[in-house]
Amino acid sequence: MAYKWGMAVDLDRCTGCEACVIACGAENNIPTVGPTEAARGRAMPWIRVERYWEGEFPDVRLKFRPVLCQQCDNAPCEPVCPTYASHHTEDGLNAQVYNRCIGTRYCANACPYTVRFFNFFNPTWDKPLHLQLNPDVSVREVGVAEKCTFCVQRINAAKTEARADGTNIKDGDLQTACAQSCPARAIVFGDLNDPDSEVSRLSRSPRGSLLLEEVGTKPKVTYLSRQSQA
Amino acid sequence: MDRRIFLKVTAVTGAGTTLASCDAPVHQLVRFIPEETHVPGVAEWKPGVCPICQAGCGVLVRVMEGDAEVVRNGHAGVVAMGLAKKLEGNPEHPINRGALCARGQAAVQLTYHPDRLTRPRKRVGARGSGQFKDVSWEDAIAELLSKLEALIAAERRSALAFLGTPGASARADLVDEFLTRFGARPAARFELFDNDVLRRANELSFGRYQLPTFDLDQARLVLSLGADFLGTWNSPVSQGAAYGQMRQGRVGIRGRLIQVEPRMSQTGANADEWLPARPGTEGILALGLARVVMSENLRPAAGAGRAGALVDGWPAGLLDYTPEQVEKRTGVAAARVERLARQLANERPSVVIIGGAPLAHTNGLASALAVNALNALLGSVGEPGGVSFMPQVGRTNPPASRPALQMLLADLLSSERSPIDVLLLDGGVNPVFGSPQAWRTREALLKVPFIVSFAPFLDETSALADLVLPDHGFLEGWDERRPESGARVAVRTVAAPALRPLFDTRATADVLMEVGRRLGRPLELPWQTFEEMLASTFETVPETPEGDGWTVAKRHGGWWGAPATSAPVVRPRASTGEPPTPTPQRVGDPQFIGDQAAFPYHFLPYASQAFLDGSVAHLPWLQELPDVISTAMWSTWVELNPKTAARLEIRQGDLVEVTSPHGALRAPALVSPGLAPDVVAMPVGQGHEQFTRYASGRGANPVNILAPTAEPVTGALAWAATRVKIARISDPDGSLIMMAGSLHEHPEGGRD
Amino acid sequence: MGLFVAAIACSAGVGCRRAELPAPEATAVFTPAHATVGAALRDFFNIRPSVVQPFPFPHKTHAEKKLGCTEYCHEAVTQGPRAGLPSVSTCMGCHEWVATDRPRIQELMSHAKRGLDFTWARVYAYPAQSHVRFHHAAHVRKDIACATCHGPIEQQGVAERNVDVNMGFCVNCHTAKGAPNECVTCHY
Repeated sequence: MAYKWGMAVDLDRCTGCEACVIACGAENNIPTVGPTEAARGRAMPWIRVERYWEGEFPDVRLKFRPVLCQQCDNAPCEPVCPTYASHHTEDGLNAQVYNRCIGTRYCANACPYTVRFFNFFNPTWDKPLHLQLNPDVSVREVGVAEKCTFCVQRINAAKTEARADGTNIKDGDLQTACAQSCPARAIVFGDLNDPDSEVSRLSRSPRGSLLLEEVGTKPKVTYLSRQSQA
Repeated sequence: MDRRIFLKVTAVTGAGTTLASCDAPVHQLVRFIPEETHVPGVAEWKPGVCPICQAGCGVLVRVMEGDAEVVRNGHAGVVAMGLAKKLEGNPEHPINRGALCARGQAAVQLTYHPDRLTRPRKRVGARGSGQFKDVSWEDAIAELLSKLEALIAAERRSALAFLGTPGASARADLVDEFLTRFGARPAARFELFDNDVLRRANELSFGRYQLPTFDLDQARLVLSLGADFLGTWNSPVSQGAAYGQMRQGRVGIRGRLIQVEPRMSQTGANADEWLPARPGTEGILALGLARVVMSENLRPAAGAGRAGALVDGWPAGLLDYTPEQVEKRTGVAAARVERLARQLANERPSVVIIGGAPLAHTNGLASALAVNALNALLGSVGEPGGVSFMPQVGRTNPPASRPALQMLLADLLSSERSPIDVLLLDGGVNPVFGSPQAWRTREALLKVPFIVSFAPFLDETSALADLVLPDHGFLEGWDERRPESGARVAVRTVAAPALRPLFDTRATADVLMEVGRRLGRPLELPWQTFEEMLASTFETVPETPEGDGWTVAKRHGGWWGAPATSAPVVRPRASTGEPPTPTPQRVGDPQFIGDQAAFPYHFLPYASQAFLDGSVAHLPWLQELPDVISTAMWSTWVELNPKTAARLEIRQGDLVEVTSPHGALRAPALVSPGLAPDVVAMPVGQGHEQFTRYASGRGANPVNILAPTAEPVTGALAWAATRVKIARISDPDGSLIMMAGSLHEHPEGGRD
Repeated sequence: MGLFVAAIACSAGVGCRRAELPAPEATAVFTPAHATVGAALRDFFNIRPSVVQPFPFPHKTHAEKKLGCTEYCHEAVTQGPRAGLPSVSTCMGCHEWVATDRPRIQELMSHAKRGLDFTWARVYAYPAQSHVRFHHAAHVRKDIACATCHGPIEQQGVAERNVDVNMGFCVNCHTAKGAPNECVTCHY
């Protein structure tokens, strides 16, 4: 049976430390856009930690939520792409194929989670910072959209190794960069088609919910709500 | 023209830009024969030590072959070499358990930073102008040697001083050995947010001059007084990992967190209950809780032992700390105090943490002693779910106290002729940035006739050097750290170089050893290289089936386990003149500098999520990381409570001036709900005058305007004790860059 | 017309570097941008000039000595995604004493002595913006002969580009052998 990649984010574990944000940026060659472009909203963190204030001092509450591409099974970004650059794979991923992308930005427009980013200009790295670039991940040029891929480079590498060994990918062996770096182990990645995987177990949690479920996107990231005991 | 000659010409002229799709048949740069073999496209993982903070986390470095532009024998060219692509937490390491925080992930940019110093430099312009010329290592070391020989000849050996950052490590041991054998002044170590007050309190209460380790994995209730232990304080990754377990790692048990602080920190945001208390009154609250526990007989009073005896009034039951009196002094409701005390006593294991701003007050030491006594009373010291002290191995270097820097500055400023002739500055120490202007640090350092810096970057402090001998990057040299908190076993994180040096830098430890060898009367250090020194320190580690201690440590990135002997870390008594037996302390009210009428607000500078104390502000990933509470990037800001802002007619982004009795600064205002109305907060880290292209001239440095007031016993800077006034200057100037569209995100139906 | 060319240039990503970050003196920068419009167009249409190598390495001579592709020079091909090229030190493994009287070998030895490697020109490559990745080991493990995609290099001097390895070539073989044809298998 094909894999079905999914994720669980436990908001009771998440501390808001943003280790996931830098780890993702380092793994996936996400460029630094600089202060001027960041001021125009063009920074492109594939994963970001949103924060929500509730209440007024002294009864304030602050909640964190890491948001990344939900790899929706009913992704609104897919039917709007005129070139099939954004499409669904057998493994359940919403793939972004950079060489097909012609930069219409309909995908970013359609995404309700605001997790798609467009390269309005060619990224630059002051040398020798470019030596850090991950050779397993494309460096995107101007005119293409990009987003979280669930570290597809790691998925492909794991599949190649598993095929060479004649086995399947074992639960826990394959981790996305964000999940790997999280100190509190709030992010769990794995195969939803394996009922015994940790991500499957967590996705069945009574604390679990889907982000913007009512919009009908069928996201594959289950958020386990933060509990509170006053 | 013959193609070969054409190749040579273009090779010599070099090329400025290498493009991704270089499809020309002739490459512009010469290629050198590689000195390493790698399988292209396949990663090797090598152990490393994270250099960012004192936690001493172990990392694994992903090394892959790539082309780097280098200069060999004066020719520019390209060579295939092992490059560091990413850092990950070392899964075997007991402190970080395979995880790595945002700053640790960004550390790889230290290696490939465009403004890294690539070779030794000698000052040619005025001090601090940043004008240097290149010199050879031979000339540079010869000059340093001649300065040291001059000291020896004039019988002024003690006029050599060293200033570095704290943290027990083999490097620190080597420096101390060098200085001792030379007859120099003992090393001074400085870090803005160091925790000497807490270490001193732990020494008094428990005999351990050491940061505490919290067994959060097994705790049921955690009360944190101002400690941002999930963000920036003590050992954040280990504490974060334990916190995740505390919450959801045990079937049917969920630990709770209560946070008390005047400004909601990243940690405070995760609390089940968040209580603001007046700044500097956390110790009073702790004693109020202890009183309730004792008066209601929830725990035996004698359980507090020596820690309790250090608190004035403890044996009598803390009569001055009734819930009503505590409410008056702290602002926390009496009923809440009672309820909280009962929770602490009944929901066990419970533990109380104090750190950060509460200890940076004039009553900081007393507050820490109060919390120690409370923990002892609750039965949480040395017990599962409580507070304990990590076993320490090797030669323990008690992190030298801040007064060492202050004594150094005082000596420099008080005498006409500088008592220091040669000052060695280690990499990363930046007191010119990290100390209040009232300390006159820059003025003091400028009096030293000859300053040598080993820093890999030019910052406000290293730019004052006459000679810069840049150290290797942390992945290019040997490193070893002996963390003092974060695990229940002794840990020595150690790593061999993961990469060849990219530039003409040298390991400072090896440079010191060479200097020691080449003096007229050699220092006769027992080792020839730093590697040899490290190997020798592992000789006592017992052999296992896997191999001898040193081989195994190199393979795994360190050694950890129960040590054969564990000496408690003790501070040398000779360094300060305090009495041998401490008198019981009472937690007085905190003293603030600045008359309340003229300076109505408490000023709270805090270690920022991205930059801590500013020592990593030069990394572009961290500049662009949105601060998780404000979502600000590339910015500095002044946090104001919404009602305060409205009253002062200050709107989001407006430029404001913050004035203390010791200075003023300007920065954009950021309206923040999680802040008491009489508190003004600012993140520390920006405001570098000089610190590479990414941080120079960006923002404002709140440390500048701090009052130089100190905790009286330790002499530690009471950085939370300054009062300020605020004035609106103008409309926004665009310097506040936020990721979030507006402050209040309106949650849509269906979201948590 | 100038505006049209400029528009093409900009959309092809020619030299469009935002001066975001303050850059003192001549800052060298890495960017996926092309240096010239010509370079961008050549990349887009996959026009690559014929390859000229800095040194006439004879594959045939070495193959006749029974030196297989993957034994000494391209061993990485069984271990990872890239085949790799040998450095001059690999050549010197034999040529320190083999055929040292030949002028070409003496040229090789002179390079080795000066620590200089050859700046080989790529023969088989993809346009950068096709973002395609080929994993050698995965194919070698399936016993696909080197000559299938690289032509009969063992009969050539320097490697010649005989096989047009375009996407159709790959997809046809994948279809025939039941290998995945999902885009992100190779384009990611």
